Amino acid sequence: MAQIPNLDNAPLNLKSIREQSQRDLVNILKNIRGKKCLVIDPKLSGSLSLIVPTSTLKEYGIELRLLSAEPVQTDCAKVVYFVGPQFISMRFISSHVHDDASKGLQREYFLYFVPRRSVACEKILEEEKVHNLMTIGEYPLYMVPLDEDVLSFELDLAPKEWQVDGDASSLWHIAKAIHKLEFTFGLIPNVRAKGKASVRVAEILNRMQTEEPVSLSDMNIPEINTLVLIDREVDMVTPMCSQLTYEGLVDEFLRINNGSVELDASIMGAQQQDGKKMKVPLNSSDKLFKEIRDLNFEVVVQVLRQKATSMKQDYTEVTTMSQTVSELKDFVKKLNSLPEMTRHINLAQHLSTFTSKPSFLGQLDMEHTIIEAQSYDICFEYIEEMIHKQEPLNKVLRLLILFSVTNSGLPKKQFDYLRRELLHSYGFEHMVTLNNLEKAGLFKKQETKSNWQLVKRALQLVVEDTDTANPNDISYVFSGYAPLSIRLVQNAIRSGWRPMEEILKLLPGPHYETKRGGFSSSPSFDMSQGLSSSIDKVGDGRRSLVLVVFVGGVTFAEISALRFLSAQEGMAYDVIVGTTKIISGNSLAETFSENLG
Amino acid sequence: MANVSVAAEWQLVYNRYYRKPELYQMRWKHIDLSRNKVACAPFGGPIAVIRDDSKIVQLYAESALRKLRIFNSAGILISETVWKNPGGRLIGMSWSEDQTLICVVQDGTVYRYNIHAELIEPNASMGKECFEENVVECVFWGNGVVCVTEANRYFCMADFATMKVCELARPEVEELPHCVAVIEPKYTMTGSVEVLIGTDAGILMLDEDGVQKVDDTLSQKMAVSPNGNFVACFTHDGRLVVNNTNFSSPVIDESCESALPPEQIAWCGMDSVLLYWNDMLVMVAPQAEPVRYFYDEPLVLIPECDGVRILSNSSMEFLQRVPASTEQIFAIGSTSPAALLYDALDHFDRRSAKADENLRLIRASLPKAVEACIDAAGHEFDISRQRTLLRAASYGQAFCSNFQRDRIQEMCKTLRVLNAACDPEIGVPLSIQQYKSLTASVLIGRLINANCHLLALRISEYLGMNQLIVYGVYAFNSIVCGYLQARNIMLTEEVVIMHWACSKITASLAIPDVTLLEILLDKLKLCKGISYAAVAAHADKSGRRKLAAMLVEHEPRSSKQVPLLLSIGEEDTALVKATESGDTDLVYLVIFHIWQKRPALEFFGMIQTRPLACDLFTVYARCYKHEFLKDFFLSTGQLQEVAFLLWKESWELGKNPMASNGSALHGPRIKRIEKAHSLFSETKEHTFESKAAEEHAKLLRIQHELEVSTKQAIFVDSSISDTIRTCIVLGNHRAAMKVKTEFKVSEKRWYWLKVFALATKRDWDALERFSKEKRPPIGYRPFVEACVDADEKGEALKYIPKLADPRERAEAYARIGMAKEAADAASQAKDGELLGRLKLTFAQNAAASSIFDTLRDRLSFQGVS
Repeated sequence: MAQIPNLDNAPLNLKSIREQSQRDLVNILKNIRGKKCLVIDPKLSGSLSLIVPTSTLKEYGIELRLLSAEPVQTDCAKVVYFVGPQFISMRFISSHVHDDASKGLQREYFLYFVPRRSVACEKILEEEKVHNLMTIGEYPLYMVPLDEDVLSFELDLAPKEWQVDGDASSLWHIAKAIHKLEFTFGLIPNVRAKGKASVRVAEILNRMQTEEPVSLSDMNIPEINTLVLIDREVDMVTPMCSQLTYEGLVDEFLRINNGSVELDASIMGAQQQDGKKMKVPLNSSDKLFKEIRDLNFEVVVQVLRQKATSMKQDYTEVTTMSQTVSELKDFVKKLNSLPEMTRHINLAQHLSTFTSKPSFLGQLDMEHTIIEAQSYDICFEYIEEMIHKQEPLNKVLRLLILFSVTNSGLPKKQFDYLRRELLHSYGFEHMVTLNNLEKAGLFKKQETKSNWQLVKRALQLVVEDTDTANPNDISYVFSGYAPLSIRLVQNAIRSGWRPMEEILKLLPGPHYETKRGGFSSSPSFDMSQGLSSSIDKVGDGRRSLVLVVFVGGVTFAEISALRFLSAQEGMAYDVIVGTTKIISGNSLAETFSENLG
Repeated sequence: MANVSVAAEWQLVYNRYYRKPELYQMRWKHIDLSRNKVACAPFGGPIAVIRDDSKIVQLYAESALRKLRIFNSAGILISETVWKNPGGRLIGMSWSEDQTLICVVQDGTVYRYNIHAELIEPNASMGKECFEENVVECVFWGNGVVCVTEANRYFCMADFATMKVCELARPEVEELPHCVAVIEPKYTMTGSVEVLIGTDAGILMLDEDGVQKVDDTLSQKMAVSPNGNFVACFTHDGRLVVNNTNFSSPVIDESCESALPPEQIAWCGMDSVLLYWNDMLVMVAPQAEPVRYFYDEPLVLIPECDGVRILSNSSMEFLQRVPASTEQIFAIGSTSPAALLYDALDHFDRRSAKADENLRLIRASLPKAVEACIDAAGHEFDISRQRTLLRAASYGQAFCSNFQRDRIQEMCKTLRVLNAACDPEIGVPLSIQQYKSLTASVLIGRLINANCHLLALRISEYLGMNQLIVYGVYAFNSIVCGYLQARNIMLTEEVVIMHWACSKITASLAIPDVTLLEILLDKLKLCKGISYAAVAAHADKSGRRKLAAMLVEHEPRSSKQVPLLLSIGEEDTALVKATESGDTDLVYLVIFHIWQKRPALEFFGMIQTRPLACDLFTVYARCYKHEFLKDFFLSTGQLQEVAFLLWKESWELGKNPMASNGSALHGPRIKRIEKAHSLFSETKEHTFESKAAEEHAKLLRIQHELEVSTKQAIFVDSSISDTIRTCIVLGNHRAAMKVKTEFKVSEKRWYWLKVFALATKRDWDALERFSKEKRPPIGYRPFVEACVDADEKGEALKYIPKLADPRERAEAYARIGMAKEAADAASQAKDGELLGRLKLTFAQNAAASSIFDTLRDRLSFQGVS
């Protein structure tokens, strides 16, 4: 099984994007003649592995290293760095060069910025007096297709940079990536955005269109019909809830990195010695996974059991009854799916050891209690006790953020009390984390009354009696809570922002809606009917396409909910998800955590 | 017949013909090529002429100062300048691919001139060694040069764009070579240049890595073929040997009458070699008698891709192999369909019925004949003959049903362009083959460069080149060049207009800014997407800053606008525009610019009111300029930020390994935290932080004391809770109590901590004693949990019955696997949902799960009743 997903069934020609990135990379490597040592920013290595398999890189006579503070150990005279625009990487590189110089090593240095050169980074190189020793270039990798319908801009730090530091670099990056898509697939006529960052992205995108226009005449019908930009800030509730879809749970407990999860080989039934790790790729090239990834985990167990049983039945039939050759052939064909079956049964079994723990059930219970927002004191005491018991900080922060966001902050006394208990329990170095969370508005002093109740009711976020096996609403992904972000997308696609302006005003940040290009002049297009009427116009049987971009990250459960929506009857569109990074509550909380030390 | 006279001028060489039409009568006067050094650019490019300072010549009525003059191919002067460059004798001079004149002088300095004879600064140098040893010879190719020094060392500048010099391997022979030739990098295996030198020991090949002897031939003159596959050598015994570059199979070995080496040697296309001695030009081709041409004036051979241009004092000729189509039509006695078609037109013009007869003869191959006529027209320089051939083609076409009709039209277009360029006033004679390999866009570029804007514009309009065209390395002047590199693709029309605008600015010193702006905008707006910034940059360079500022306002691309605004000193506007663009890189560019130019306080003032600039600066400085950042925060009154920085510094001191083995660093650490504490307390909003910092300092002191008293370095930098637990685990209950009271730890937290700590120690007696000290403020749950986690059922059972809530009790029993007790407790709680959940936990145990079922049934029954 390849870790790089095959993108054959993608609603958009994502393959061409990936191939372009492959070519760019190979050209860079080819142009540096001879043996070379490639030093990659650890953060980038994941994205690169989704573009070109590591084995291919080795064919170009390349030694691979990960960038760290340690000097590069290699015999190659040429060292090629691939780094994102992070200051810390510049310090590493400078120290490597100084180190080589002190040892009298003569090396040629090439530095490729991904996705583009950065003035500030080069400034550091200048200050360190190594700038003139480097040949500097750029590798314009603005996005990586993670799967048939998911593009990642690989900006894992974006939420913190934007919400805490006020660094808007990621917004420009996102706009640039979308603009690049437009050069390939045509100008997107409808743009809807909610949240401060999203609206800013839409503005920058418009600006790019004036600066470097995508010409309208070259394309026929733009392949992407609508762009919906949702700011993570608008919905910090959803990522803090434990995801209950199969893929979501795997991510929560085992962490999916760049489309694969790393496990002890023993879990996957391998007969090897202990402690050996193995990588299990998780993408839609795995047919069984494609079928079950979006289901609620409860259902996944049942589905797997059913499949196993039916296979067992087939097997007994084969051994006991006389079969025609074609029936045998069918059976053998089914057997081909056996490795996939085993893999997912093993994985599901491993997961259920986590999901059956009382602590997990208790946590789920508490999440729902917080979302219901009826019993403030119970929630407060639960969190207080977690702190006292010194439970893992991330777990505490998730509930704390959930609690604070739904209440739009805590009363000052309790806010200070919990902060003090936190510092006492986990150490004063977490002062910065608290400060970050406060700046980002995730854990703060209550200043206004919370309107969570209004939002919850207006958007029907809590759905009683969710049937997880035969869901009729997106709330199945959290067993009863419909993710706010996806509710917004659902409305944005169906009817645009206008009918729901009152609700939008209850949520943080402005909203924005526009039509671009010459399309608004088309007389048959009625604004109020939104997308549905424009879909009818795509008469050639193709479904129209919506690009949903999450500024600040999206969880697997939310993606599942979107897939569920687009698979519903009467929904004449496909959805492609763009995100700064795939996140979970843990990874998001970690982004904001910063030790003083 | 006309046909005969055409072919009569041809020379037969083995099985093919050569012709030598005259392109121009040179318009220059009093130019004697033998007195001068001459550099002619290929593709009908300009000719640079300067008096040869290595020859003794008589000065007639001219100045002793030498003049560098640049002519077009028809001998019309384009520009001239006085040569006053230091550095000794001019050794070599050649045109680069972008039509820059490269001049190498004795001390290795490289001077560059544009076609307007303007020196392009800065000058480059071939390096220190060349300076010391003197350059004696240099050999150019497309975009590079190899220089030979007196010490017989070889230096190569492989690309005039980068101007990097490298030394090639040393040939280890003292005497200078008889001749040098270069194989261009694009034709070599290694991808770097290879130099062939003819020495007394044979031919050596040098490259960056080594020297290799390739052949024994004693060569006196060499030339490498245009495709880099063959080398022509004139040997010391008067033979011309043509060999492949491996020197493995000679193609020609022809003895010439002279043992003196020729003055010039050049390839004519791919299939013959020209040798030039005084007054005589000899063409040598395989399997053929050499052809001799006699001249009574000096010549310069200019190799082209499909022939050789021959420049003399009075004329310019083009020696080429007669193209196949032309040969078909005009060869004496030719009866090819094309020849008959051409003949038919002649009859038709004379109203002779034979025209029809001819056509009937060639009916089947008529399309081919038409094609040949069109093709032959393309190869003609003579306009009237082009016309006749095209008429023949169109006459034939009328009888072809399925001929591609736009072929003729296309050829007419091409010929119009070629003829226009060939006009002596423009002086760019191009054969159709040269034109095709040069491409129209490059031709337009060269025309622009020579300030033939109108023709360039007309051609680009005429060819409909308003679509995107990929531009190669050809660039015209520094601004446009930068612009091209930035975009890599471009609109041709755009470049024409832009170049016009730049020239206009240069030439309009007297026109006031506002008027000139209007004139410029009037034309610039014709072209969408034009770079106003590039024009503005030119205005600024021409000393018209105000005009530049007005122009740059019109630039829509921020990435072009912002750097220019900076360079003309409009820093505030630059910052605003950069911020608007959303491109943080541009904002950084502005920040660094201002930071460098202005005193700190002024800089702070400028960014303070701009949130994005301020934030970006903070991010950068946080990583790289701590002290400066502190100054910034102090000057803007953000004391809490300074406090955070100090606090962070104190941690960094802690991470220092020195800190662990001595108290010396505790002083500065604590001092920093205390400073932070006092800074926090300056503002009302940060009382919490202030308190925390105070507590932190206190904690560090206590931890330090603990380490001293316990002689164990395990306290510093752990949290308060951890400190308490460590104390209890170590059995130091007094210390634990002290920390508790010192930091006012609540009873709730204290109980959790102590219970867990005792459980870690597995001190169950102490735990029991603790549970009996008094009624625990948070009940017995901590005790149960600690025991269950430690897997001590017996201990847990001591506390489970004391749990007040039956639900908790049920779950606790369930966790230690006591199903019945769990069920009892649950039924007491009357909680059906709980029972269901407990059943799940006991799913593996059939007996237990049946208990839950019965109980639940009973419960629901109760619920109904």
